[in-house]
Amino acid sequence: MPDVQVLVNDFINKLRKRKIEGSQATSRQTAELLRSVISQTRVPYTNQAGALIDAVRAVGEQLIAANPVELAVGNIVRRVLHIIREEDLSLATAAVAGLGLSSVSDDEDDSERDNHPVLSAAVVAAAARSTLRPPSLQTLLEDVPDSGAVPHTSSSGGDSEGKSKSADKSSRSRKLKHDVIEALNELIQDITTCHELIAEQAVEHIHQNEVILTLGSSRTVLEFLCAAKEKKRSFRVFVAEGAPRYQGHLLAKDLVTRGLQTTLITDSAVFAMISRVNMVIVGAHAVMANGGVIAPVGLNMVALAAQRHAVPFVVLAGSHKLCPLYPHNPEVLLNELRSPSELLDFGEFSDCMDFGTGTASPLLHVVNPTFDYVPPKLVSLFITDTGGHNPSYVYRLIADYYSADDLVVQRRPPTAS
Amino acid sequence: MWWRSASFILDHRLQEDPPNDIASSSKEPDTLSKLSPPQTHSSFMAAADPFNPIPNPKISAYYQTRAAHTAVVTSDWLAQAQAAVGHHPDDSPAPQTQLLASPSASGKSFCVINEFNNWRKQPDLAEAVAAIRALAAVIRASEATTMMELEIELKKASDSLKSWDTTSISLTAGCDLFMRYVTRTSALEYEDFNSARSRLIERAEKFGEISCKARRIIAMLSQDFIFDGCTILVHGFSRVVLEVLKTAAQNKKLFRVFCTEGRPDRTGLRFSNELAKLDVPVKLLIDSAVAYTMDEVDMVFVGADGVVESGGIINMMGTYQIALVAHSMNKPVYVAAESYKFARLYPLDQKDMAPALRPIDFGVPIPSKVEVERSARDYTPPQYLTLLFTDLGVLTPSVVSDELIQLYL
Repeated sequence: MPDVQVLVNDFINKLRKRKIEGSQATSRQTAELLRSVISQTRVPYTNQAGALIDAVRAVGEQLIAANPVELAVGNIVRRVLHIIREEDLSLATAAVAGLGLSSVSDDEDDSERDNHPVLSAAVVAAAARSTLRPPSLQTLLEDVPDSGAVPHTSSSGGDSEGKSKSADKSSRSRKLKHDVIEALNELIQDITTCHELIAEQAVEHIHQNEVILTLGSSRTVLEFLCAAKEKKRSFRVFVAEGAPRYQGHLLAKDLVTRGLQTTLITDSAVFAMISRVNMVIVGAHAVMANGGVIAPVGLNMVALAAQRHAVPFVVLAGSHKLCPLYPHNPEVLLNELRSPSELLDFGEFSDCMDFGTGTASPLLHVVNPTFDYVPPKLVSLFITDTGGHNPSYVYRLIADYYSADDLVVQRRPPTAS
Repeated sequence: MWWRSASFILDHRLQEDPPNDIASSSKEPDTLSKLSPPQTHSSFMAAADPFNPIPNPKISAYYQTRAAHTAVVTSDWLAQAQAAVGHHPDDSPAPQTQLLASPSASGKSFCVINEFNNWRKQPDLAEAVAAIRALAAVIRASEATTMMELEIELKKASDSLKSWDTTSISLTAGCDLFMRYVTRTSALEYEDFNSARSRLIERAEKFGEISCKARRIIAMLSQDFIFDGCTILVHGFSRVVLEVLKTAAQNKKLFRVFCTEGRPDRTGLRFSNELAKLDVPVKLLIDSAVAYTMDEVDMVFVGADGVVESGGIINMMGTYQIALVAHSMNKPVYVAAESYKFARLYPLDQKDMAPALRPIDFGVPIPSKVEVERSARDYTPPQYLTLLFTDLGVLTPSVVSDELIQLYL
């Protein structure tokens, strides 16, 4: 599959050079790339899911390593792995159900079903299902964990197949790939439409004559505010400009063209204005498993100001921003330092920063971090495409979207290398 | 809260009266507990004869296990203990175990409490594991022929276990967990009653492995949180925390550990011993030096006796104040606990639990009018905990209730 490798390398280069910006674009392109990887992968007769998982994982590792700060890449890789597992499982259970039907003529009678082959198949299916779920107290005493992880799931499919006719095999392998690609298309669709889904909820949160504060620019926030405006809510928006990139200026302009009352303030004026604000609505870069938020720089300050004045701090995030990892030292490890040219004009300050003139290191340092970490206790509400959630509920969403095996396995190789 | 009014003096007298009567009839246990020299496990175990399972009501059975597993045995303690026991045929507790085991094995009447007592003497066995092993022994000894009979028998056994020691949380949690498993494993799912029964026994036997594996999983999960150059504050002796730090040391992480002393059983001394064996730089603190050293500390690591439904933990006395200090200084508090310690309790405040009492040695005689707070553990509310490391994964405190609801609803 040489052409896929070209695509992968191309994408990796873009990620490295930070040519792709924004988690939405990144995640959509990642999903599209993985879709072509899957469609190009030749699957063997047995253990098709395993082959697909290996292929996706191999590509995923490279992508994650290309830009570890862009968490959306890892999220989508894990989502795809989860989708493969799920589709494989649904096929396996379907096969088991078919088997049960063929071997036991009367499946209405429960006592009839207690004979051995059907029973073992049912147990296998149950075991496979539980591997997809995160471990829980219920399964603590049952003996599925870890021996029956990935290989078990796929071998269960192989077992049931061995009993059925061989003609089934090829159709099934094609079906798995087909189903996975179908599900991936849905995922891409979800990513592109998540703005609308989030914006639909705007009227529930923004009320008449309220004052909303936001910082920087986020497309989700823009759509959210406009959706409320379209529903005939009249409200004011304070936009903090979001230094050093001043994307707040662009947001303010967009809002004004859509007919919203807008006030532009500097970032440092947030504390001065917060007492007049009813709600803070911001976008996010990523939402971590503990409910903490990786957000554009300056938002931690806004969150603290909001907490000081008991103003609700609402974060809008599409489900592709949910990251199943816990932040370790996020201020440093999940941050990115951008070019100092955004802060200072090189012409004027080049003397202070010039490495060529002095023998020692320059006296003036410019640090321009991109992200802030907002701890979960400062967040009042997450609005995702599935509705509003408390920060302590985020782990539950993550359990829905990712399977537990992928978190660990996916993380080990990059840290080891 | 009634105990804060002046009437507590009257209440206290009322409470004191009956024990005085008992003390006159059987003087030994009361004097032992009140102003006695500290005791080692050998004296505890000697007192625990099979026909009077609660030898000393003033010292909870829960505490006996803790003491037997984690107490630091110094030479003067041994001397005092031997004086208290008198001339016992054997000094070491191991033969004693067999002494106790033989009547229960050969005798016709099977007693789940004896079984449990035998199991819990093994130093590396958690109490919940011992409970589940004891219940497995009940299954093995039972003559039930249907699942229902077996369930009733097990229920009785687990109730008697739970009522024998109401203070132990992991015992209760272990019993509940296993009972839940039994009710869910119906004979229907297996071909007949016998295979279901043998499966139950097999799973119960395996539970010890599960518990060991849980510790390893926890140790793996917590590795990401221990970074090079960090300082970790540890309170009490917890096998899980030891496993975590051991794994971190094996992974060549560079960190140092502050151990609290853990008065009065001095569990911290033993913990620091273990760490010193691993070549981890370790510093001992007295319990009251926690706030003094907190600004040097990067994270607090504690184990737990039980994780309650609110997501808070019940742990050795002093955990609560350490968590408070850490919270006020913005330091993360991590709890390492196996998931079988999740208990269906919801303590509203510190006094809302059965207190586990323990003897406290002050070194000098305490006048009889002076009251001594002898509770062995406290309750740390969830808002002071950052994350829980369990074998189910890294959890925020609010997940705990969710897990429990999923299991028991």
